[in-house]
Amino acid sequence: MSLSQALFSAMSGLRANQSAMSLLSSNIANTETPGYVRKTVNQVATSNGGIGSGVLVVGVNRELDQYVQGQLRVEMAGASYANTKAAFLDSLQGIYGNPGSAGTIEASFNNFIAALQGLSTSSDSASARIAAVNSAQILAQQLSASSQDIQTLRSNADSAINDSVMIANNAMKQIADINGQLRRGGASDGATAELLDQRDRYIDQLAQLMDIKVVANEGNQVTVFTSSGVQLVGTQAAVLTFNSAGTVAPDAQWDPDPAKSSLSSITIQYPNTSTIDLVASHAIRSGKIAALLELRDNTLVQAQAQLDQLAAMMASALSDKTMAGTPVSTGTQDGFDVDLAGMLSGNIVHLTFTDGANQKQNISIIRVDDPSVLPLPNSATNDPNDRVIGIDFSGDVIAQLTAALGSEGLEFSISGSTLSILNAAGGPAVVNGASVTTTVSTLTNGDVQLPLFTDGGRPYSGAFTANGPQQLGLAARIMVNPAIVNDPGLMVIYNTSPLTPSGDTERPDFILKQLTSGLYTYSPATGIGSNSAPFKGTLLTYTQQMMSMQGDAAMSAMQLATGQNVVLNALQQKMEATAGVDIDREMAHLLALQNAYAANARVMASIKDMYDMLMRVV
Amino acid sequence: MSINGVGYRNAYLNYSTLNIKRQMDTLLNQLSSGKVSDTYAGQGVDRGFAVSLRAQLSLYEAFASTATNVNTRISVANLSLQGVDDISTQLRAAANNTDLTVNIYGQTNGQVNARGAFEDALALLNTQAGGRYLFSGRATDTPPTVSADVIFNGDGAKAGLNQLINERRQADVGASGLGRVTIAMPTTTSITLSEDVPGSVFGMKLSGVNSNLSGATVIGPPTSPQPISIDFGTTNPQNGEKITIAFTLPDGTIENITLTATTDNPPPPNSFDIGADSAETAANFNDKLTGAVRDLANTKLVAASAMQASEEFFGSVPPMRVDGPPFDTATALRAGTPDDSVIWYTGEDAGDSARGTATVKVDNSISVSYGARANEDAIRLQLQTFAVYAAVTAPATDPNARGQLAALNDRVALALAPKTGSQSIQNIQADFAGAQLAVKAAGDRHTQAKAMAQSMLDKIEGVNQEEVVAKFLALQTSLTASFQVTSMLAQNTLTRYI
Repeated sequence: MSLSQALFSAMSGLRANQSAMSLLSSNIANTETPGYVRKTVNQVATSNGGIGSGVLVVGVNRELDQYVQGQLRVEMAGASYANTKAAFLDSLQGIYGNPGSAGTIEASFNNFIAALQGLSTSSDSASARIAAVNSAQILAQQLSASSQDIQTLRSNADSAINDSVMIANNAMKQIADINGQLRRGGASDGATAELLDQRDRYIDQLAQLMDIKVVANEGNQVTVFTSSGVQLVGTQAAVLTFNSAGTVAPDAQWDPDPAKSSLSSITIQYPNTSTIDLVASHAIRSGKIAALLELRDNTLVQAQAQLDQLAAMMASALSDKTMAGTPVSTGTQDGFDVDLAGMLSGNIVHLTFTDGANQKQNISIIRVDDPSVLPLPNSATNDPNDRVIGIDFSGDVIAQLTAALGSEGLEFSISGSTLSILNAAGGPAVVNGASVTTTVSTLTNGDVQLPLFTDGGRPYSGAFTANGPQQLGLAARIMVNPAIVNDPGLMVIYNTSPLTPSGDTERPDFILKQLTSGLYTYSPATGIGSNSAPFKGTLLTYTQQMMSMQGDAAMSAMQLATGQNVVLNALQQKMEATAGVDIDREMAHLLALQNAYAANARVMASIKDMYDMLMRVV
Repeated sequence: MSINGVGYRNAYLNYSTLNIKRQMDTLLNQLSSGKVSDTYAGQGVDRGFAVSLRAQLSLYEAFASTATNVNTRISVANLSLQGVDDISTQLRAAANNTDLTVNIYGQTNGQVNARGAFEDALALLNTQAGGRYLFSGRATDTPPTVSADVIFNGDGAKAGLNQLINERRQADVGASGLGRVTIAMPTTTSITLSEDVPGSVFGMKLSGVNSNLSGATVIGPPTSPQPISIDFGTTNPQNGEKITIAFTLPDGTIENITLTATTDNPPPPNSFDIGADSAETAANFNDKLTGAVRDLANTKLVAASAMQASEEFFGSVPPMRVDGPPFDTATALRAGTPDDSVIWYTGEDAGDSARGTATVKVDNSISVSYGARANEDAIRLQLQTFAVYAAVTAPATDPNARGQLAALNDRVALALAPKTGSQSIQNIQADFAGAQLAVKAAGDRHTQAKAMAQSMLDKIEGVNQEEVVAKFLALQTSLTASFQVTSMLAQNTLTRYI
């Protein structure tokens, strides 16, 4: 009976229209819903057994370009990385202050120099002395406030990692859950499409936190890996663990060795209990978490190191006193005597000698009071051309020196506080020179050198202890010697017997000279200069480099973020073009559906007429 | 981290319009502050250069303040020196005055003025510039000299200049009043003059004898050491023949006694009568010589002794004093102690260059030295001359008073006269002028360099207002257009037509 077949076809047409209408209305309703992918009906013609065919809605299509989606996720991670970094570096710029205003390190430094120039002009003036001490204090406070701010940023980064890890864990769990639900459902109905939308939203969340790779499997399943290949979600979600440190101090540093690390790593734990350290294995390379890790463990650590270096150089430039060794000869042995008295932990005996191969060697013998830090690395001094030998002064100094340098043809002996360094009798080695650099820790014993800047009141000698080098975090602890704060006259008076005359400008001139024209070598750990060619310059040129570098880093981070956002936006637009809801298109479709519905209804009306006609005939 | 409640399309629209708005905010900031940015990052690639420019500008400010200070100090010091020099000129004129009227205190008008002048000179040297003594070397918080009263009269147990002059006078003139010279006649025809203690630093030193007395044998310096022996022998000298004996006084001046043989009776001054035989002539000669030596010892020697006492008081620290009492037989000097002698200079003296006691950088590479000490030779010589002029007294009743004061006047006038080969006040002033010139040259250079640095810095830190306004207008246009087009597109939807 072809009429009833026709009726059936028209009916199926109406049903399909209704389904399409319902999808269309949901498309329009979700125009602005983020992550909503435009749905279309998947309909097929069905045979009615004879002539003609009906229509059957077999499922819902998600209008998704998976290639664009994958690319979008990669760029999401990149943009999120760049934005996070730019935001933190922008805050760091805030710490360095407004150039040209009073609250910057350079302005404090310049004011200190100006006050010293004033003191050198009027060393007898009490107000000039007080002004010099005050400006030194402001400089010290500026350094310590900046360090504190940097550590606050590190601490913020640390807790932001914690937040990110929690969000990631939630997203991973949700992805795994939806995977489970899809496995049970299997059909490509509207509910499935919604679940897929939802899962994509969680994957997008995860993509912003770290760089991920999504592999689609059969049955709407996905497996999520980091782009380095660590599986995050399979049938089950892994769990990331991170312990926020709360507050972060300059000496709190991350270390691949968990025993030495004072800041938490991110570890991933699988349901089968195996764990991987994602930080140590560099598994996270992009996204917000990677940016935060880099900030916490590199960028901000380096910013702190730069301030520490400045603080250390200022302190030691004023307090270090170098005394040349005196040449001695014993029989056929020649060499030098150096006086070890007054050497503090971290102070250095410099030794140059020509070895048997006619090679000149520079040796820095560093006093160490804590044998656990031995042996010291060559980077313990900023000089790239020296060999560093740490000697535990609480132990047998001669035995240690002989063990280190005896094979080079050198002999050591000690009497009282005098260390004799001689070439071995008949040996080829020649001792070319020796000197000792000590940290002056007294104020009025006739030395123009003075411990003006101290490590929280203790002299700064660059010591190495089990907690790390004394320089680490020095900028946070630097303070003007309390004795000088109490008696600003000590900026001028370097001797009490005979008493330094008030117009004697030797000490102010020395301080001024050291701070304005003294040339120093700076550690490559500051990011300025390299291991083989460390940066050498005055404190001013160093500050200049430091601000230049930080400004440049912030500027490039911002430019990178802008660039990433442009790429991200372009991809989002592309995504929008395929997966987004275009009202005009939906409206046009609506007209078509209306027409089709009316036509189907018209067909049904005609069939009804024909049936009526038939009935009347019968 | 969650996805915001807007779709991609809106996000993009927001991103571009927000971006424009952000740029406008930045421009507005630039417009109101005149600065390109308030962070190092925003200053662009020249930010490092800007750091060094700001340091340079700050240093120029500091140098400028130093220059002002130093200039003031040098000007004040110069005024003091000029004052001392003026006083010196006045006193020299007074000392050249031949009016030797003595007042009741035994001083000429010139000497009375000298006392006031000395006090003025001390006041000038004790001048402060901004709380800083300029003639104390490095001891800028200590006045360079004690007061004039202490210098003259001493302070308790500490002897002053007057006492030193008095002691030295006793030692130089000696008990016999012959300036520590002994005159004897070993034979009836011979006379010997000898210093009472060979090698003694006091009294008159026999430095030469020159004679054309015929028949007389004269032995003495410079051909042989003292004593001087004059033997008339057996023949008398001829009328008009002379003998000259030279004495070196304690201040280094040389005074001659010339006696001429004469037949006039009574003999005119500085002559001796030729007697009947050489023995009588010798006796006459001895008589006249003793008178002349006594005369010299009580006039010029007294003045010379005072000059030397002043030199010893001002010229050494602590002062050198006569090793006594008794003073009139003393033969050596001893160093005074800070407890028994006034030390007039109270500033710092490390024995190095006085200029170097105040050295300051007026430029990165230029230092000027402008220190001074009141005991520098030029100043000290003036002071010790003023002081001795003011200190010496000669009672009007003393027949030698005029001789003493005339001798003193000569010596003072000579000491105050410009001398070549030794430091003068003008030399110090020339040093100061050089320092001031260096300060000024550095200042001029800084003014120029500062202008250049400032204009460089303005280029890095500052913004071009016109450019900012133009950019602002362009952005405003673009933002308006973008809003308008967005709104048009939003209205242009199919929804409106069905």
